[in-house]
Amino acid sequence: MSNVIRNPRNGCALHGALQTVQEINGVVPVVHANAGCGVINYLANGGASSGTAKYSGFSVPGTAAQERHVIFGGASRLREQIKNTIKVVNGDLYVILNSCESAMVGDDVDAMTKEIVEQGEPVVDTLIAGFNGGTHYGYEHVLTDILKSIDNVKKSEYQKNSKLVNIFGIIPGKDPYWQGNLDEISRILEGVGLQANVIFGATGSYEDLSNAKNAALSIVFSRWGEQPAKLLEEKFGIPRVIRPSLPIGVEGIKELVASIKDVIQLDEDKLLSFIQKEEIYEKNLLRRVRDEIIENGLSKKAVIVGDEEQVIRIGGFLTEKLGVEITAAVLTDALKKDEEHETQNDELLKHISNNVYKSVDQKDINDIIRGSKPEVIFASALETRVASKLDKPLVEISYPIVDKLIIGKTTVGVKGLVTIIEDYFTVNREFENAKRDRLVKELKNETGNNQWYEKEDSYSRVRSNKGLYIRKQEFSVSNG
Amino acid sequence: MAEKIGKHIAIYGKGGIGKSTTTSNISAALAEAGYRVIQIGCDPKSDSTNTLRGNNYLPTVLDSLREGNKIHLDDISVKGFGGVLCIESGGPVPGVGCAGRGINAAVNLLQELNLFEEFKPDYVLYDVLGDVVCGGFAVPIRDGITDRAYVVSSSDFMALYAANNLFKAINKYAPTGGAKLGGVIANSMKPGYHREIVEDFVAKTGTSIAGYVNRSIDVQQSELYGKTVIEAKPNSAQADIYRNLAKYIAENENLVVPNPLGSAELRDWARNWGDRIYDIESGVVGVAEAI
Repeated sequence: MSNVIRNPRNGCALHGALQTVQEINGVVPVVHANAGCGVINYLANGGASSGTAKYSGFSVPGTAAQERHVIFGGASRLREQIKNTIKVVNGDLYVILNSCESAMVGDDVDAMTKEIVEQGEPVVDTLIAGFNGGTHYGYEHVLTDILKSIDNVKKSEYQKNSKLVNIFGIIPGKDPYWQGNLDEISRILEGVGLQANVIFGATGSYEDLSNAKNAALSIVFSRWGEQPAKLLEEKFGIPRVIRPSLPIGVEGIKELVASIKDVIQLDEDKLLSFIQKEEIYEKNLLRRVRDEIIENGLSKKAVIVGDEEQVIRIGGFLTEKLGVEITAAVLTDALKKDEEHETQNDELLKHISNNVYKSVDQKDINDIIRGSKPEVIFASALETRVASKLDKPLVEISYPIVDKLIIGKTTVGVKGLVTIIEDYFTVNREFENAKRDRLVKELKNETGNNQWYEKEDSYSRVRSNKGLYIRKQEFSVSNG
Repeated sequence: MAEKIGKHIAIYGKGGIGKSTTTSNISAALAEAGYRVIQIGCDPKSDSTNTLRGNNYLPTVLDSLREGNKIHLDDISVKGFGGVLCIESGGPVPGVGCAGRGINAAVNLLQELNLFEEFKPDYVLYDVLGDVVCGGFAVPIRDGITDRAYVVSSSDFMALYAANNLFKAINKYAPTGGAKLGGVIANSMKPGYHREIVEDFVAKTGTSIAGYVNRSIDVQQSELYGKTVIEAKPNSAQADIYRNLAKYIAENENLVVPNPLGSAELRDWARNWGDRIYDIESGVVGVAEAI
């Protein structure tokens, strides 16, 4: 029986491909679809941190196909659009993105691409249609398709670089912290003597796509990075390391480095020195917040909602380091049956929570959250309502995050660990404060204003001290 | 939806089975009897109404749509024999685009142009191409556009297979207001067991025969003259066959929802007939005994 899926947080394969391509400097997407297909991705991703790429949102070149292009075929319209785009938009590489209607009608997109390539223009295409899968599928397959054909249109030297490491599996936009996370991964790899080929964002570019074949290694940080890494392994013999998640904290970094060392050699001195520095940094920062963690009782019961990688990374950290008990975890990118990927994280997930669910249906997710009786919720902006109804704090860690500006912040490595603690602490404190303010207001109404003013004054005086003391004070007031 | 003006009839059948010839002769016979008739060819080949209009050029609805200019009824229709209003939906060139969507768009456009309010037809015949291969080709029997469909079929297995597919489509859409089946027009009938095959098929599927059209040189000859039999050979026996068929279709109100055969059922049914035909052809048994 069919069900309504409320607030499915993932778009179609075209959306995934578009939000992937638009975040590569120098790459211009050309969408062969009706006008809404490209724009709706922009509108859906309308958080403060997305849609910032040069050719994104309303600026994406597209064929804006109409009914006549469906009936009579849209290939010639596509040809026209590619030529016009090349004329008016400077790009180092143009990527043609296909759509459902073009796929159903059977437009010969390949022939159009070939024709333009023969004229010396750097154009590649992907034939995946929106209905082939979700956002994550779009990321994985557009990247694979570009890597498959980029050598035919952008001639580049084939010269192995023993330090270069391809980074796959971090989906721009789907990981709200993708830019900061790529930066942090780059910093970590540089720290151990390697060089990250990040492709996306502020430090990546189309050249990284050409350069991917020269890498010594590909690291796959979520199942959605497997295919491009596999292609490079088959085509250029580049080994791949498949990680269940991005690293968090020094321990995460150590595990990552150990898996890299299994495949390529690292400079041991450099490695030791880097790890030592990270350890000192982590210890120092954690020491500063140790008391706050204990005093604020952060070892709560929690529910976590996010993509598998995020659940493993952040959920793992919360349980192991903060003593959080995860009563339920919801994976928002999991397929019911995944035969395309090797990644198998069931055992790992069991250690994070006894109750792991796969769902993108808001109703399911809300029911799971309610049923799991959490004291805190780690999820997305879509869980704001259920958190508010349950009167529990919500720490936003997964897509979509709407009201928080995220540009370069990271949730990876030692810095990421700090970010999570900072956010958790702040949200928790704000929640407690708001709760206390509500209580004060209620008491005001009950006791009458005059009587309360005196108490409020004494209350204000202690307000600057520890939160714990404030709560005691509240208790005595409410009983008085 | 506003009350329908005239009876709207869809005629389906496998490609090359004689749909356009049959439809045009029915239109001509109805016009001859004094009715106002529109024939709409729903086929990218756009040759449905050729014999009604002496093979004269007629721009198709979709050609006009492609130009993007404002379309007037006069641009896309022409009066043919007996005042039959001829319209061709047209479509993309073979191998490109989506003909199914084309039919959908053409039919929608005709409604927007108030074709039926303007012309006030007694009968509108939709000559729909080939098999019901996708949703687009089912448009004339969906959405209340027609309320009755006929299928032209010979006794060949592939023609009956296409008829069975139409039955499946009718079966699917009839409960939500789609067209019902008026009957099977048994075309290209030759002497022998051919009638019996079609009769057995309609019995199995709970449908009926609307009429038998024998294979005739008059049809071929008239087509070569660019005319319908009604126009070219009005006194022939074949013209009367078409007149009777037209009368039946005009008056028939016995519309049914067919029970299409399942794939295995249809295959077994055909195999069974294969055995019987072999026996008849090789003289083991006579036609009557075989049946």
